[in-house]
Amino acid sequence: MSAVASARLPVFRLVLRSQVSRARVGALLALGAVGIVVGASLGAADQVPELVDGRVVDGGLWAGARFVSTFGLSLLVPVTALVFAAASLGDLDEEGTLVYLWLRPVRRSRIVVAAAAASFTVAWPVVVVPLGVAAAATGGGRGLVAGTVAAATVALVAYTGLFCALGLVTKRSLVWGLLYVFIWEGFVATAADSAARLAVRTYARSVLSGVADVPLRGTVVDSPARWVVPIAVGAVALAFTTWRLARRDIA
Amino acid sequence: MTSLVEVDEVSKWFGELVAVSEVSFAVGPGVTALLGPNGAGKSTVLRMLCGLTPPSKGEVRVLGGDPRRDLALSANIGLVPQQEALFEGYSAYGFVHLAAVLLRVADPDRATRAALELVELDPDDRRGVGTYSKGMRQRVKVAQALVNDPTVVVLDEPLTGLDPRQRLHLISLFQRLGEDGRCVIVSSHVLDEVERFGSRVLVMAQGRLAAEGDYRAIRELMDDRPHRVRVRCDDPRMLAAGLLGANGVVGLQLVGTDGVVIETLDAAALRRRVALAAQRADLRLHEVTPLDDDLESVFRYLVERR
Repeated sequence: MSAVASARLPVFRLVLRSQVSRARVGALLALGAVGIVVGASLGAADQVPELVDGRVVDGGLWAGARFVSTFGLSLLVPVTALVFAAASLGDLDEEGTLVYLWLRPVRRSRIVVAAAAASFTVAWPVVVVPLGVAAAATGGGRGLVAGTVAAATVALVAYTGLFCALGLVTKRSLVWGLLYVFIWEGFVATAADSAARLAVRTYARSVLSGVADVPLRGTVVDSPARWVVPIAVGAVALAFTTWRLARRDIA
Repeated sequence: MTSLVEVDEVSKWFGELVAVSEVSFAVGPGVTALLGPNGAGKSTVLRMLCGLTPPSKGEVRVLGGDPRRDLALSANIGLVPQQEALFEGYSAYGFVHLAAVLLRVADPDRATRAALELVELDPDDRRGVGTYSKGMRQRVKVAQALVNDPTVVVLDEPLTGLDPRQRLHLISLFQRLGEDGRCVIVSSHVLDEVERFGSRVLVMAQGRLAAEGDYRAIRELMDDRPHRVRVRCDDPRMLAAGLLGANGVVGLQLVGTDGVVIETLDAAALRRRVALAAQRADLRLHEVTPLDDDLESVFRYLVERR
């Protein structure tokens, strides 16, 4: 009875299968495609150099970075992460099938990590690939593409952890998640630097700014915190999800 | 009897709702039926046995361990939950195979095929369980619960949605498991179903353990209670007068202009007496209806008499 199953892979596959629905992936890919079209139109337009914080910045890079920050890091990344991560355990809980994972000799942490990994695996190509292509299409250069990929990946780690927990805590995870993304991150966190540090978006923008070497506004976090904090947030959120899963009632 | 499952003074409440109140029992090998109406607290008790929800008070021990805390214990508990949902994208084979893998069964393929054949499902049927009928889904749930041959099998209304032949098949399967030394706990709200298990019965009503014993003892207990019968006829006063003082009649109440409700300890004998009294008084009987033969009233009686 002491054996505890190493079951991450089957659970990973299960959550992956449950998440990849045509409607869900199709809608988010369509959103990514919109980003590519807008990026291409920005690239096609004549961009003049900008004077930002006393520094002359290439017009294409500046326009591209602002687009990635506004569309990618503020909308596409958090919404995609919310859709997949909140559903990873939340859907199983709501359907009443979580019992078929819970009543097995499988460590709760393994279930949670597998579910989060599945969400990340689906969300990453849906988010990062179109966003990287859109960044390239703006004509901002390789630095912008690298910054976009890095920032989106780091943000996705944090959001996946946070929304995985949210999916298990509340049945209205989409509503609460959207409120967090648009009200807290989009509005409250822009009011002061201290509040900004409580928003994943701030760290993601700081990564983009640092890697692409473009002075975006609201990038108040220096390295290495801009890298470490979002990953730590994701890890702590998963630890909380594990704790919650072990202690909650299962239908 | 060796107790494999022990429930000691267990209560469970959800906010202000008391779902289970001070329930104690011990269960050993064999089939034990948990009988009670909907909302009696049966599912909550079964969920506590599996560790899915902790007791608010008291203690639950399964195979000597705490099912809520002892993770490895779950490999020895097979559960058929009440809810219908399964992993919709999976075939029956895939669903049961996943359970076998997570339960670390030595040969998951063989165990999966054996479990599906046990419930008369085709292991090679590649259709998704989403296309299955209610009865087939129920059998998939039973197969996943038995795939690793657990010591304790907990079945929450497992016969729901099954056709009569499948019901008989599963009842005999559960009986076999019990005879083989497994501890099989089956919940049901259908008295006849429990009779077929021929097992020990725990009767639950309003969150309490109302009675326990073998099926025959419970049946007798239920038959010994007072029964109420409503009779409609031309002249209920005359009929009531004819029944006054009759053996087994413990109460009479006139209802409306054409009815009388008779309370008796022997419903079968009363019917004969009513017919005789009506014949003697030359009355025409319009209706003779037992008022409390439904299971709810039986359970209510059992709770009130404790």
